[in-house]
Amino acid sequence: MENNFIIAGFGGQGVLLAGEVLANSFMLDGNNVTWYPSYGAEMRGGTVNCEIVMNDTEDVSSVNKSETDYILTLNQASFVRFLPKVKKGGCIIANSTLVEEKRPRDDIKYIFVPMTELANELGNTKMTNILSLGVLVKACGLTSLETVTQALDKVLPPHRKNLLPMNIKALNIGYAYDFSLVRA
Amino acid sequence: MAELTQVFKVPESIKKGSKFSFCPGCDHGVAVRLVAEVLDELGIRDNSILVASIGCSVTLYDFLEVDSLEAPHGRALAEATGIKRARPDKVVFTYQGDGDFASIGMAESLHCALRGENVTAICINNTTYGMTGGQLGPTTLLGQVTTTSPTGRNIDYYGYPVKIAEHIALCDGTAYSARVSLDSVPNIKKAKAAIKKAFENQLNGVGFSFVEILSTCPTNWKKTPQQAHARVREEMMPVYKLGVYKDITENN
Amino acid sequence: MTECMEKTSEKVLTKGNYAIANAAVKAGCECYFGYPITPQSEIGEFMSGKMQELKRAYVSAESELAAINMVLGACSTGAKAMTSSSSCAVALMQEALSYAAADELPVVLVSVMRGGPGLGNIYPSQGDYNQSTIGGGDGDYKLIVLAPSTVQECADLTYKAFYLAHKYKNPTILLADGLLGQMMEPVEFKKYPYPEVDNSDWALTGAKGRRARVIRSYAPKAENQCEFLKRLHAKYDLIAQNETDWEEINTEDADIILVSFGSPARNAKSAMRKAREMGIKVGVLRPITLFPFPSKRISELANTAKKFISVEVNMGQMIRDVKLAVNGRAQVELLNRPVGTPPSVEEIVEKLKKESGIV
Repeated sequence: MENNFIIAGFGGQGVLLAGEVLANSFMLDGNNVTWYPSYGAEMRGGTVNCEIVMNDTEDVSSVNKSETDYILTLNQASFVRFLPKVKKGGCIIANSTLVEEKRPRDDIKYIFVPMTELANELGNTKMTNILSLGVLVKACGLTSLETVTQALDKVLPPHRKNLLPMNIKALNIGYAYDFSLVRA
Repeated sequence: MAELTQVFKVPESIKKGSKFSFCPGCDHGVAVRLVAEVLDELGIRDNSILVASIGCSVTLYDFLEVDSLEAPHGRALAEATGIKRARPDKVVFTYQGDGDFASIGMAESLHCALRGENVTAICINNTTYGMTGGQLGPTTLLGQVTTTSPTGRNIDYYGYPVKIAEHIALCDGTAYSARVSLDSVPNIKKAKAAIKKAFENQLNGVGFSFVEILSTCPTNWKKTPQQAHARVREEMMPVYKLGVYKDITENN
Repeated sequence: MTECMEKTSEKVLTKGNYAIANAAVKAGCECYFGYPITPQSEIGEFMSGKMQELKRAYVSAESELAAINMVLGACSTGAKAMTSSSSCAVALMQEALSYAAADELPVVLVSVMRGGPGLGNIYPSQGDYNQSTIGGGDGDYKLIVLAPSTVQECADLTYKAFYLAHKYKNPTILLADGLLGQMMEPVEFKKYPYPEVDNSDWALTGAKGRRARVIRSYAPKAENQCEFLKRLHAKYDLIAQNETDWEEINTEDADIILVSFGSPARNAKSAMRKAREMGIKVGVLRPITLFPFPSKRISELANTAKKFISVEVNMGQMIRDVKLAVNGRAQVELLNRPVGTPPSVEEIVEKLKKESGIV
């Protein structure tokens, strides 16, 4: 069984890191996983995205997928750009602090969560990415909160380890957010 | 009757039976011999690695009994860097012409000096590309006629010649930079002392050491050896002044 | 991450570029010389810290010209040495690669391809198949060329690159592309699996107790050059005989064979599985060594397969070698993207459906 994900947003929102944490989590669960950025040399400011392909059967995943199971968008531009790429029956998750709540397609699921707002409430806007990852993990049900926490510990570099408790908090807030109310 | 003592012989570092292929009267032969004498005197021949260059000195490895690598044109000091970094215990030196060192290889030469690589570089300056038939090179003097400056080097067409030893002296990584000449016995003695210093510096680990040797090219200059040495004195030395341009060991 | 990568038993999620760099360190690479260029700069960044930590050599060279020549210098002493670069900068290294081939030096070059010609762009590409396998230096020489398709293979083939370079005293290229360089996958860094090659009979060490050795390419006499080239090419024949490597899936009964190396081979495999489900008899042949190219095997398969499709991210370069191997006995077609990501699985499946008359 193969599932693929896109995480997209502004440069600097930490989407590559969120993707790396998710990919690590799948690896820790014993799956094959491939992570690649849209563009290797993206600098701060532009839009950035990465794709994660999780596979528990094939040993080598294909790349350059035309459809995606789960797409997490942290800004409006990404939402507009990636909406058509969601697989029929798939799911788009959006940061409603920055993305307009619109549902142009009726063949996919929508999850809107005010991620930046929640991160601000926690006291750090930069936690948006990991908070959003909590939402994605809950929505897909393909890995556990416990494994993602472990992955987070693995990915954060030593000089950022002081931020681990806050990241875990953010992850849990995203995971616990009751988005059933806003499901299409 | 007193016993005969040999006071002059072929240095051990010169390959036995080898015959120099340099043109008659060319100073390369003297320069190579001086390097060989220094290797002998310091006892470093069998721990040294030579990086040969492209030009008249290309077959230097046929004359010296020293492990040698031939570098592509201009890259000798990049090769020397690689060797020295891989095997810091070896004595590593290059022997290059002015075209190799200061034209096609200027970037490699300057950056090797700037990094302060602990190697020795010898550069022969004869104001022309000798092997290809006497064309204009980086050190060709203003006014000098060559096969590619038929009316003489003028600034509009060709720009200025480079004063190599001065440039190398400006590099912070340079430990020693000197210009010497082979036009007379006293100057040959000074040249040998400079070459020796450049190798001793490497043995002492003080950094990049460089000797520029003013040299003749009687064939392309169309002069006898005597006339050629006169040219070194009368035309080259006023521009390329002899001397030590940098020596960080001076005050120690 | 550096800590994790020390462990051999555990998988770590890492980029192709880091996998290559870490594998080089584990392979015993003593010297790294480099100049930055996207999309492989992580290799030099990793090496700058790691080599200093291990008290090995690292030099930020002034240019790619200098970098590759420093590698030649280090290799002349028998050291394991490498550089890494990309497309337009590998172009600058061609002279030195020709010298290294003639000097028979064990140079390892990691080439992470980007778009060309000229400055091109930094998107992934396979536009340097010709540059690597045919080369841009002067004279009759060959480089061993290894092409990974996964991040694990980036590590494994880096080990192999060092081994083959030293075993055959031949410059060796690890040919990846920008996608593999930036891609992260779980990697297991095994122990360097190859024996150390004895180089005491040729390396420059200073002529203590023996005649001086000369490593040179200059051959002033034509008859010497004839002898040298014959010997050199006998070595290339031996390399072809011993080291040709490829992966082959479902080719026995295949009517159509997809030939693809590097990252597009991943999509070729997925497309093959989908097409097989539709009853199309497709196989995949993935060259792992581009020189030596698996020509002999492709030639054998041309007896049973009706069609070969070369799947590449360039304007069609490897297809020439496929055609030479097939030698007119089957059709050979190209399915390509000029630059960027590989042809999608759907695109390849469509092509296969069309070829087998399903659509």
